[in-house]
Parts: sequence; C-alpha cells; structure tokens
Amino acid sequence: MGFSMTISDTWHRLPRPVRIVLARLPLLVPQMLGVIFVTFILVRLLPGDPVLLMLGNMATEESIATLREQLGLDGSIWSQFLVYFQNLIQGDLGVSMFTSNPVIKDLLERAPATLELITYAMILTLLIAVPTAIYATVRPKSIVDRASRVYGLAAGSLPDFWVALLLIFIFFTTFGIAVAPFGRIDPMLSAPEFVTGFYTLDALLAGDLQAFLSAGSRLLLPVITLAIVNSGALMKMTSSAFGEIWHSDFIQHQRASGVPERKIIRAALRNSLPPLITLTGFLFGFLLGAAVLVETIFSWGGLGQYAVMAVINSDYPALQGFVLVAAAFILIVYLIVDVLYEIVDPRIEV
Amino acid sequence: MSKKVLLETRDLSVAFGDKLALDRVNIALAENEVVGIVGETGAGKSLLARSLIGLLPPGAERTNGDVWSDGRALSTMSPAELRNLRGGVVSLIGTNAKALLDPVQPVGEQVATVLRSHRRLSHRAARQAAVKLFRQVGITDPESRATAYPHQLSGGMAQRIVIAMALVAGPKVVLADDATLGLDATIQVQVLDLLVERCRTEGLGTLIITHDLGIVSQYCDRVAIMKGGQIVEQNDVSAFLAGPQTSYGQELLKAAKVRPTLIKGDGDGDGETLPKVGDGTRTGPKSSPLLQIRDMVKHFRGRDGGVVKAVDEISIEIGRGETLALVGESGSGKTTAGQCIVRLLDINCGEIVFDGKEIGNLPASEFRAMRKRIQMVFQEPYVALNPRWRVEDLISEPLSLDETVRSAADRRSRVLEMLEAVRLPKTLAKVFPHELTAGEQKRVGMARALATRPDFVVFDEPTTALDIRVRAQIIDLIRTLQREMGLSALFITHDLNSVRSLAHRVAVMRYGKIVETGDTSTIFERPGHDYTRMLLDAELPIERVAEKDLMGAI
Repeated sequence: MGFSMTISDTWHRLPRPVRIVLARLPLLVPQMLGVIFVTFILVRLLPGDPVLLMLGNMATEESIATLREQLGLDGSIWSQFLVYFQNLIQGDLGVSMFTSNPVIKDLLERAPATLELITYAMILTLLIAVPTAIYATVRPKSIVDRASRVYGLAAGSLPDFWVALLLIFIFFTTFGIAVAPFGRIDPMLSAPEFVTGFYTLDALLAGDLQAFLSAGSRLLLPVITLAIVNSGALMKMTSSAFGEIWHSDFIQHQRASGVPERKIIRAALRNSLPPLITLTGFLFGFLLGAAVLVETIFSWGGLGQYAVMAVINSDYPALQGFVLVAAAFILIVYLIVDVLYEIVDPRIEV
Repeated sequence: MSKKVLLETRDLSVAFGDKLALDRVNIALAENEVVGIVGETGAGKSLLARSLIGLLPPGAERTNGDVWSDGRALSTMSPAELRNLRGGVVSLIGTNAKALLDPVQPVGEQVATVLRSHRRLSHRAARQAAVKLFRQVGITDPESRATAYPHQLSGGMAQRIVIAMALVAGPKVVLADDATLGLDATIQVQVLDLLVERCRTEGLGTLIITHDLGIVSQYCDRVAIMKGGQIVEQNDVSAFLAGPQTSYGQELLKAAKVRPTLIKGDGDGDGETLPKVGDGTRTGPKSSPLLQIRDMVKHFRGRDGGVVKAVDEISIEIGRGETLALVGESGSGKTTAGQCIVRLLDINCGEIVFDGKEIGNLPASEFRAMRKRIQMVFQEPYVALNPRWRVEDLISEPLSLDETVRSAADRRSRVLEMLEAVRLPKTLAKVFPHELTAGEQKRVGMARALATRPDFVVFDEPTTALDIRVRAQIIDLIRTLQREMGLSALFITHDLNSVRSLAHRVAVMRYGKIVETGDTSTIFERPGHDYTRMLLDAELPIERVAEKDLMGAI
C-alpha cells in the first residue's frame, strides 16, 4: 500500500510531458512486434514457393532442399519466425534479388532520400497552409480568403506528377532557372559523408557549401510540387478547426477584455492545434509511399521507387524490408502525434 | 447629489439589415451606481451590452445615436482606443464562465494577459496582481488555483475568475450580462454579493443585465425594463417595485411574484390546488405508494481511481397522484437519481419498486415494457430533441412503445392531443426544433414524455434558463397536467420558487444523500436542516426588499 502510494506520488510529481512520453513509449514495443509478425506472415501467404522462385526452373531436388535448409524454411512456422526475428535483430533483412545488395544497405541509402524530401515538403506545406488559413479566417472576404478557397478546391484535384512536369517545364526547360531533375545532388559532386543521410544536413556538418547548395537546389522543385499538392487539404482542415475556435465564446471574451488581436490569434491557434497535429502526422505517413511518382520524375532514388521495383521484380526480401521500414516510420510518426496531442491539450488525463 | 456619469447611450439605435434591434435607447450609468436591465429573451439586452463596448456582432450596425464614455463618442475612437476601452474602462462579464475561459491556458495566465493588455507590467508582476485579485474575489488557495485550467474549476469558481478578469485592469464600469445564469442559487448569491460589493467599494458603475427581478430588487439602485429593443420604463428600484408605470412592467413583476399559495395539506383555500393525495409517507390502507426506492446507490469511478458516490443510499416514496420535489444544488446527485429511476443508468445496489414490481434490477429487455409507464422530461430540451425531426415525429416516436396506438391515424390524433395538452398550436406539428422558442421546446419535450400516457414522469429542471413569464407559464402547465392526467411525478430542481407551487412533498438532497424530507409547507415554514435553510436563504425574492423599504419608510 505504502509502496504503491510512493510510486503514484512520484508519478504525479513528474512534469506532465515526461509522464505522457513514459506512458506512451512502452506501447511501441508490442506494436513493433506486431508489425514484424504481420510482415512475416504476409510474405508466407504470398502464392508460390520462394525457393522455386529463387532457383528458377532448372532447380534440382537437392538444390531445393539445400536452399530450404539455408533459408530455414524446413522448420515449423514458429521456428522460421524465430530465425527471421533473430536475423532482423542483427540487422539482417536478407539480400535483394534484384540489386544483389543486402536489403539493409539499400534501405539505409534510400530511406533518408525520401525522408529528406518529405520532411522539407511537410515543412513547406505547413508554412503555406497554416498562415494562409489563419489570415483567410481573420480577414474574411479578403483577397487571401477568396484565393485560398479557389486554391483549396483546385489543389485537391491536381495530380502531383502533372504539377511536377509543369514546374520542370516552366522553371527548367523554359526559363532555365531550376537545376536538372536528375537525382539528389549534382553528379559532378560527391555526396557528403553519411551522418544523418540528409544531404543538406550532412553537407552543412561537413562544411561543404557547394554540396549543400547543390542538394538544396535539387530539393527545390520536388518539395514545391509536394507542398502545392498537399497544402490544400491542410489549409481546409486548418480553416475549419481555426474557424470554429475563432468564433467561440472565449475568443469573443478576450476581445471584449481588450486583449490585442495578435495575442487572440495566438490563443486561437493554440486551441486548434490538436486536429492539425493529427492531420500533419497522417500526411507525413501518407507521403512516404505517395511521393513515388514525384520521386520517379526527379530520379530521386527514394524508398517509394525501391518498393515499386521490388513489387515488379517479385523481390520479396526487398519488399519485406520496405514494409518494415514504412511501418516503423508510421509508428514513430503516430507516437509523436499522440504525445504532442496530449501535450497541447491539458484536458487529457495522464 | 449629481454623480459623474461614466457611460451613457444617447438615442442609440442598432439594426441587423432592415431589422431594428435597438431603438433609440437612452441609458446612463453613473459612478457608484448599480443599474439593472431587465427584459425577456430577444429584448436586445445583450446587444446593448455589446454596443456599450463597441463590439457589435457581425451583421449589426449602429444606425442612430452613439455611446459616450467620458465625454467621447465610441464611434470616433480608433481601434486602438477602443481596445483600451474594452476591459480597461468598461469590462464585460458574460454568461457561462467556463465557455469564456481559454481551455488550454492556466486561468492565472489568462487574467495576467488581460492586465498586461492594458498596463505595462512584467509577466511576474501581472501574475502576482492576478493572484492577489483572486484572493479578493474569494478564491481559496489562489496560488495553486492560478495554475489550474478551466476544466478543473467548478462553475462558481470559473465565474469568480471571469470577475477577476473583468476587474483586473481597473475599469470604471462593469457590465454583467446574465453573469450568474445557470449557477446554483447559493453560488449565485455569493457571486453577486461579491461583484456588487467590489464595485461599490471601488465606486464603479455597474450594469446588471438579467431576466430575474429578484436580482434587481436585491442589488440595484435603478432598473430599466427592455422590450423589443426599447427601454419602456426606467425608474428607481423601490419605485418600480411599488408600482410599475407600464403594463409590461406590471406583467413582469406579477410573473416574478408568481408563487401561488403553498400547498397546504388538504383543500386549503385556493381552488386550484393539486388533487389530494393519500398521505404517501405512511402505509395507507387503500393504496400502496406508486414508487418506492430503497437504499438506492449509484457510484461512478472518479478520475483518480477513487469512487464518487453520486447517489448514496437514498430512499424515497411517491404516492399515486403525488408530486415529490427533489431539491439540491448541482453535484448533489439529483439528476443521477432521476436517471437511475428511469433506468438510463444502472444502479449499483438497492431496489426500485414501481407499482408493486421491482424494476431496479430488471434486465434492460424486460424493463422496455415498463418504459411506456415511466417517462422523463429532459433538462435541455434542445439537446434532447433530434434537430432533423419535425415536432410530430418527435412526439410520436415514443408511441412505438404503445401497442394500443398502431395506425397512422391513431398516432396523428395522439400527437394533436398532446400538442393541445401542452397548449401548443397544431400548426407547430410540422416545424423543426430550432424554429421553436425555448419555452415551446420545453413543451415539446413534455408532450414527448406524456405521449404514452405514463403513470409516472421525472421532470429534470423544467424551469431553468427560462424567462420569468415563460417559467410561470410552464409551472402553470405542469399544474394543469397533474390535475388533468393524475400524474405522479418526481420534480428535480434547484429552483425552490417553482417547488412551492408544484410539489406535495420535498426531499432535499446533498452530496448524494437526502438530508430532509417533508411536506412542502413544513419544509418552507419550518425547515429542519441547516442546509435547507441555506437553500431557502439563497432565494432572491422580490418581497424581501419591498418589505425592507416599507420598514425603512416607517
């Protein structure tokens, strides 16, 4: 009794954000285990024998049996899972049949490419959508308000590859302002040393200004493309969330109390954060795979392209690796969403 | 004794498009003066309050006259000057304090923000000033309260915070727009006492906007009666109470005084008393009580894992044709008790015997057959009525419980019968809830509950948040229904005034327990429990002041 009281006391004395993180973090373990198990099962469920697929038509009985044994496919499903899991923990995701590289090596190269692209795209999306929506709500019937309505309508119906091609046509082909849409960095330069995998950050860390500028300018068009396409949805969401708060009683009351408009806007924004956080998290996870067309157009060499190639070539280890990385990424994004959501809303008990 | 006028309107008119909402309003507020503005919903009271701080709702426009503060017309002020005026010179306290506070900011910060909007102060100094003011407005433990969020506060506490917010920047005028609506009577008195006392000590001009003449008679020096955007009458409160000059004023005063004679035992005087009831408290030989509740318990799990005893072993009996009033403040568990009786909530233990049959522990499927006989009228009719249904659909919905009403024609005639019973015109059968007034919504809620001709009805706060005249009408209606339909009823309320004329017996509830039960006359004339006495004292009757003035005159 006394012991549990002490625990409960200590718990409540912790700062609220710490309590939120501590309460949410352990859930990650069973979630990740679940994901690992499901990817394993899904791949087993695929039609066809992977051994036959790998060895082709010329396989002999012995070679099939040998490979089975090598791959651990002769045991029960549980022992197979155990082998798979042990390999996974050691960072062994198998060898891609298509690139002949270890899957982990491919992923480590490609995941940061996509992550860098969609992180900047997400930041730009937020920078476009949120201020525009706020301005449009605070100054209704202004030009910004009208323009944002038209844009909100149009942006949802614009295909990203079309926007990408349009931007390339205008800024690269016609005016020659933008750099060529081929990859993440000028082929004449060498990629900065791997630290985070983000070329922009790594170049800065290495003090390589030229690489930084090259990587940055390569990012420009694809990031703008993704932001143009996705900020429409976020803008609408912000408008509705912020608009509802903006017309609520407590905002009226702050105005009646003579609080300056600037502070009122800040208070209203603070109150409309929860739905924004949720949608931002969702968009972030969605972009991981959805950016594939843009990646292809800009020869980005990202994760989406890798997954498409894996599917086309029946490259199961690569596909399995992609699903795992994507799932882990989404789990982490949602973890951050949950934590932020609880931090910004003090009404949620922890 | 000419006092300095702080704020006044001269021939102020405000219109929504072509529709005039304020019509040549002239009202002045001097220092150290408390003025009451009384009117019914839609009279333009709140619009007037908002005009006084130059903050009209969208669509409204000033068409004539102006508001003057300290020799300047509001319409000539720049946005920055207006911002300084709001909260700095004239501050507004609105209804439902919890909705007026930012839900994600600690309340101390919010009050400090208002102060810093008007004075150049450091963050620390503003916070200290807020905490100091919290203490002055009667907030215990102000230091820790300042770090609380609005959802952690009770309604009365939140109202005090809003008052602190209004006073913090040292305004000269305070406007209280229905500031205590929806608060318990005892809390209402505390909050108003505090507000008026603070305003008087600092010599502020105070404008109390209300529909409760009891508040006006208790706190105000002058009163203005509003109707249809006009001030129809303006006078000293004592003169008004002695004899209103207009017929509308007389009507309001009469409606406010409606507290028909106490129901006294059997057929005492008043021809309109309730039907007699066999003394329900003793085991009468003729009829057993219709409803008996024994040791009913309802627990809820609290936030901290503890148990909240919302209803803690209560026992009640209600005889046939008898009305029992269950009186208590918010949080006393009275509504929970009502919901347990109609089985909207499952009880933890105890029993409910209805007409000789135990229903408290009946499985939901078996209880369904009893629903026809036990109905409930909900507290907020607008919330309880499906906004997408027409009135006729709303009233006929419960008829699916009644096998005797099957054909469409039968249903239709029952709906019309019910509309007539609650004194609504037949034409309203085709309208949607939002087209009805608050009083009409209450009536539809009642018609819906009465449609299956139940034997027993729980009325949950049927008169809260209604205008005086509408409240009097609803009380009249319930009395008529009792007589015509021979209803037994449980009447849940915190409005003691209405109980006086409606109930045969009263049970007073506090913290989940019944502290006192007795005949209505006994409870009102010789309350036995301190808490009952406190509730009675919290009433703001009009007579009290009239008597006081009379005493003074002698």
